[in-house]
Amino acid sequence: MSFVFAAALAIAVLASLPVLAHLLRRSTAEEREFPAAHLVPTAQPVARKRRKLEDRALLAARFLLILALAVLGATPLVRCSRLSLERDGGASVALALVLDDSHSMRTQMPDGKRRWDAAVGGARELLDAARNGDAIAIVLAGKPARLVMPATTDLDQVRETLSDLKISDRSTDLDAAVKLAEASVAPLPHKDRRIVLLSDLAGRVPKATKIPLTAPLEALAKSAADCGIVSAVRLGRRATLRVACNSSSAAKGRTATIVLTEAAAPAADGATTGKSGEELGQVPLEHRGGVQELNVELPVPVGRMNATLSGRDALAENDTAPVAPESGKLGVGVVRDAATTSVVTGGATIIEQALASLQRDIGIFPHQLLPDQTAALNQHALLIIDDPAGLVAEARIALTEWLKRGRVAITLVGPRAEAAPLGSTFEPFARGALRWQKTSAHGADPASLSMLGEASSSLKDLEPNGRALLAAAMPPEGEVLGKWDDGEPFATVAPVGRGLVLTTSLPASLAESDFPLRPGFLALLSHALDEAERRAGPRRSIAGETWTFPATANVVLRGPGATQLQTARNAGADDQTVVVAEAGRYSVDVDGDITERFVHYAEEELTLLPSPQDAQDAIGSRVAVQSKVDASRELALLCLLLFGVEVGLRALRSLRKAALSA
Amino acid sequence: MNDRSRNIKRAIDWGQLAPLNVHARAVADGLYVGVHRSPRRGPGVEFGGHRAYLPGDDLRWLDRRALMRHGRLLVREFETDTDRAMRLIVDASASMGYRSEHAPAAKIAYASLLAAALARVALSGGDPVALDWFGGTDRRPLPAMGGREAFERIVAALEGAQPGGEMQQDVRAVDRAFAPIAHHARRGSIIVLFSDLLDLPEGTLDRFLALSARGRILVVVQVLDPAERRFPFRGPLRLRASEGSVLVETDGEAVREEYLQRLAALTGVWSERMKSVGGRLVEATTDGDPVDDVRAVLAAISGETL
Repeated sequence: MSFVFAAALAIAVLASLPVLAHLLRRSTAEEREFPAAHLVPTAQPVARKRRKLEDRALLAARFLLILALAVLGATPLVRCSRLSLERDGGASVALALVLDDSHSMRTQMPDGKRRWDAAVGGARELLDAARNGDAIAIVLAGKPARLVMPATTDLDQVRETLSDLKISDRSTDLDAAVKLAEASVAPLPHKDRRIVLLSDLAGRVPKATKIPLTAPLEALAKSAADCGIVSAVRLGRRATLRVACNSSSAAKGRTATIVLTEAAAPAADGATTGKSGEELGQVPLEHRGGVQELNVELPVPVGRMNATLSGRDALAENDTAPVAPESGKLGVGVVRDAATTSVVTGGATIIEQALASLQRDIGIFPHQLLPDQTAALNQHALLIIDDPAGLVAEARIALTEWLKRGRVAITLVGPRAEAAPLGSTFEPFARGALRWQKTSAHGADPASLSMLGEASSSLKDLEPNGRALLAAAMPPEGEVLGKWDDGEPFATVAPVGRGLVLTTSLPASLAESDFPLRPGFLALLSHALDEAERRAGPRRSIAGETWTFPATANVVLRGPGATQLQTARNAGADDQTVVVAEAGRYSVDVDGDITERFVHYAEEELTLLPSPQDAQDAIGSRVAVQSKVDASRELALLCLLLFGVEVGLRALRSLRKAALSA
Repeated sequence: MNDRSRNIKRAIDWGQLAPLNVHARAVADGLYVGVHRSPRRGPGVEFGGHRAYLPGDDLRWLDRRALMRHGRLLVREFETDTDRAMRLIVDASASMGYRSEHAPAAKIAYASLLAAALARVALSGGDPVALDWFGGTDRRPLPAMGGREAFERIVAALEGAQPGGEMQQDVRAVDRAFAPIAHHARRGSIIVLFSDLLDLPEGTLDRFLALSARGRILVVVQVLDPAERRFPFRGPLRLRASEGSVLVETDGEAVREEYLQRLAALTGVWSERMKSVGGRLVEATTDGDPVDDVRAVLAAISGETL
């Protein structure tokens, strides 16, 4: 609101003057000198009553007249939120509506409305202004950008689509959204094509577009102070929070608190964590913008927890987030003999160091022996077994059961295979026993290990002391994953239920080869992790990511607030997918195997503010979308009408007085 | 308005009537009076007509021929050119200082104009003129005098007066005003009272009528403001009297009729009582034509009916 606009509207205050004057006049008549006063009889009640009735109409007319004049004065300056389409010669328009459904659009504006609601309202107004022949497409700018309604002239269908749209917690991808919008209206025959950006512009706004771009709702791009919890993870006795603030003022004086929502079972020593709703610890936020990592010490054991931020800001939804347990990471179990796989410099074993070097969001759980119970394996999505001396029956059963649920196991067969105890076999990795023997092969054939990419070439000159012979013991549904340069299988793969087993012919021991030091080894582990992640699903995701499940699995998904999500089966693909657009805690039930997953906000979604220049450029390039309502003509007519009413009332009064005088 | 402010003296609001001497001359010159003829009938050389004999009439003027011819007692009258003193009494009480929004001047200004014009007419006829006051401050009563300077002195006295004072409850002020007149006014004098007749103390009329003894001719000129004459007010009103503490809250249109009736009743009482002593009451309004009003006063003095 400009100063001139405010000043023009201030004239409306003058509307109170007639009211004031009327009240004063009505309450106390003007006192005047009159020598013959003693000849004048009193007649107070009659006077007041008649005056009151007569003046009201005049008063109302004058009051409205002043108000109308004030609004008339301000109208040319007011920028109304109502949008309309300007047409060049009345021609049809091809319009791409880019609606930003990212998390920041949940922000509450000063008028109490959410940005998203204002954006949808603006889209509706533009739809109302559309006519037959206009083509409209709808693109959502939440990451990844999506074309939810290809350009169509069926305006009813566009309205229906618009009413089905929902806000999400995705990050913003304006660039891709505008490109999609361009692609959607570019082929249309309309000469007048436009892209309307209904976004808070918190993200990279495309500068040069082939089709004119406009962002008519300036109010959406106004900054609002906000802090939000990006993620909250429990690591042992510590909860680590990542909190993002878009300004230092948003962080000022606020604290992050861990609140127990569901207590865990008492520990072995009888220690309990308290009751639901109890605050377990808190830490103040640093007075600065950007992302900050905060640590809160926790008692052990703990149950389900939420992290909350104190105080209020423009976006309350991201002030609370569930605390993901450590197992929120993809669990990787490593069964190894520390004596043979450790490096001379000490520290973690080679396998663990290799996994850590991948810098994946995983939790590594070392085991000395392979667990022989399925429950003990459930925390893992991937199991790496190094140089096993066969598997006992209980371990085989537990492992097979675990694998069938969609887990992945990889066995690095070594010389211990020769010393398998009685009753131990390598099932389900191989049929029966495996043999270890010396070899003259130099290394693996890189061409046969193409799934490892460029890293496969690093395995061609391994010069091992020996190798396991896998060819004779391949499982019935097994396949060769890679070959030695003499044609023997270097690695095999076989499905077990929804799971997968990988077997390599070399162990992670440096005594046999430097295989674990080669990039190919890391690529193999990464491949196994990918497979495990694809099957188990990521434990922690960013809003807007897609979760994939095997097509045959019975998947029941419950999101935040116990809302049930439906997976989509993609035609021609052997999987089913679901896009998680809401941040929070999810319950995933795949064939009865229930796990918890957590979806977080993207950091940049909470920290990015609209660039003033970008916003100005986008808003300033307003093209053919009218955001002003010029009601001057109607108001002027109203003023004239009110003036006529006043004149009429005054004439009526004069006639009455004349009649009285007569 | 509180008592203190009401006691503050205020000058005459001359409005459009200033300067008084010019306007008074203009008014007097507008009258065709020729040589002023004293209206007093009595011993003289020019026959003035007959009238019925009344007990006490001088038998010298009894028309014996008429008695013989008609069998009725008639008295012969003769007009005389002797000088007739004219005493002008001007009401200068607070209420005479009133001037409404559209009035050309205050009531006392208009009364002064009529008095000055009348004085000029009388002086030009050779009659002496005296000036007396009724209320007011800084007033200068003037004894009966004639000649060229008399008019100037009368105008100066009229201009110097200031309306003020409350007479409503002060009947002694009336006595103080009328007592010297009763003492000094000669037989056949003409006494003209200029007043709004409002806010006068009870008994004023009786005391004034008492001045009609010794053949004096009484004329009352009731000078009112147009607002007082027509009561044009509308809507809610709070009216405060110029004298006294009367404060009336009323409605203009609703009480206009009754007010005018009351005013007419007041005027009617004065008019009737004046007639009973051979006097006349002339109604003047400050927005009226002063020439007509002076003519009406002269006619009243002559006993004519306009």
